[in-house]
Amino acid sequence: MLRYVRVDTEAELLDALRKDGAQLLSGGTDLLVKMRSGLVRPKSLVDPAAVAELRGIETAGGALRIGTATPLSEILASKEVRERAPLLVDVLRVLGCVQIRNRGTLGGNLANASPAADSAIPLLLYEANLELAGGDGARNVPVGGFFLGPGRTVLQHGEYIRAVRIPASRQNWIPFFHKVGRRRALTIAIASIGGLAAVSQGRATEVRLAAGSVAPIPLRLKSAEEWLAGRALDRETIQHAGALAAGEVSPIDDVRATAAYRRAVTGDLVVRFLEGAAAA
Amino acid sequence: MKVRFTVNGHAATVEGDAEMRLLDALRDVLHLTGTKEGCGEGECGACTVLLDGLPVNSCLVLAAQAEGREVLTIEGLADGPRLHPIQQAFVDAGAVQCGFCTPGFVMSTYALLRDHPAPSEEEILTALEGNLCRCTGYVRIVDAVKRAAVQLAETRLGEARARARETA
Ligand SMILES: Cc1cc2nc3c(=O)[nH]c(=O)nc-3n(C[C@H](O)[C@H](O)[C@H](O)COP(=O)(O)OP(=O)(O)OC[C@H]3O[C@@H](n4cnc5c(N)ncnc54)[C@H](O)[C@@H]3O)c2cc1C
Ligand code: FES
Ligand code: FES
Repeated sequence: MLRYVRVDTEAELLDALRKDGAQLLSGGTDLLVKMRSGLVRPKSLVDPAAVAELRGIETAGGALRIGTATPLSEILASKEVRERAPLLVDVLRVLGCVQIRNRGTLGGNLANASPAADSAIPLLLYEANLELAGGDGARNVPVGGFFLGPGRTVLQHGEYIRAVRIPASRQNWIPFFHKVGRRRALTIAIASIGGLAAVSQGRATEVRLAAGSVAPIPLRLKSAEEWLAGRALDRETIQHAGALAAGEVSPIDDVRATAAYRRAVTGDLVVRFLEGAAAA
Repeated sequence: MKVRFTVNGHAATVEGDAEMRLLDALRDVLHLTGTKEGCGEGECGACTVLLDGLPVNSCLVLAAQAEGREVLTIEGLADGPRLHPIQQAFVDAGAVQCGFCTPGFVMSTYALLRDHPAPSEEEILTALEGNLCRCTGYVRIVDAVKRAAVQLAETRLGEARARARETA
């Protein structure tokens, strides 16, 4: 029979998660849906909502630490996050709906490891690190090294994400996020593209690009980024970057869109972002 | 497993297994059937209640997760037989047809108007994004929210005037 375990301290959390069949339950907006459809059958659900180390938002200089059990709506409302990681706010604002954001967490969004996980895009772009604990001991993993495939991550049995650390970064980033296929919040994205650009006198000092729903995992578009570094953002450069981005993704056909369409959308959105950044 | 929480201002204790959702506790144990189950997976908002003041889908919250917390359901809004001004506004605006979605919309509206007494059209749409209606179309529902905002503002004004008269 299923057990529900509310833990109060991190020591209790570590213990409870070591048990056979134990699974973390945070907001439940992914897990309870999966359990209902019989996709997963945990023996116990361990709720970390009361564990201080997994809650709240802290700042240190320009850097941020966000506990992974902090509800998304709390992150959205944070002035510190808006100042230091505005793109994270832009993205969370269109994740699900009010009811989902009041329950859902970054821990659940990342650990669920959907190719469409929205929070992965800004976290990849800000080069966030994940503080993992449990398993064989604490370790830090960059977000870019966390996902292994749809529903698969580097997390070991008993291991969990304690916090997300976003390092201080440029103040002058031009941010971009666009999710395609969003009908009243509740459909999973067909493709989503995010970007950060630092532009000086029409020249790209640095550009970061990330894409969701167009590959087995959310990913950075490195070849387009490298092509753009230091170049003047003229029409040809931008078009070429779009083509590189489209070539870098590995989308699939599904009921919502074809692979070819997803590839085209990726290129188009990258072009749209860069045109905007060049004009800014 | 026993869970204790507050529902509409009253202490409640429910007994059930760990799978029991807050929605089941409200409907099946406490017989508060105003909260509806549409999809059971977070998509429709028919099961919306306020948990410590925030709208949540009660189909995606375990009853155990409500332990020690405050739950407000549609039954907690009306004042005896008198509809809450938000409910009345939904009726007046013709925003109720089959009515299945209405309790969820009303609860989302309640939280919205508490935080934003005069919401913009965009704020209304964002607040109601998690609630689906198959019957009426959203124009009437948005109209209902605007009517409710006006009605609540007038009520507040009336109360303030009454207080001013008392102290005068
Ligand atoms: C109607 C609806 C709309 C949605 N819209 C979107 C959307 O637009 N974009 C989007 O990206 N997602 C969306 N989601 C998916 C979901 O809401 C998010 O992924 C949410 O952030 C999950 O967080 P949670 O706390 O509810 O996760 P839970 O359901 O509690 O957990 C999900 C998984 O993560 C594990 N887990 C949770 N916390 C941790 C942790 N700290 N460390 C390790 N493992 C952990 C759990 O064991 C479980 O396997 C939607 C879901 C619904 C039902
Ligand atoms: S029944 Fe809960 S969202 Fe549909
Ligand atoms: S009135 Fe029927 S679903 Fe909204």
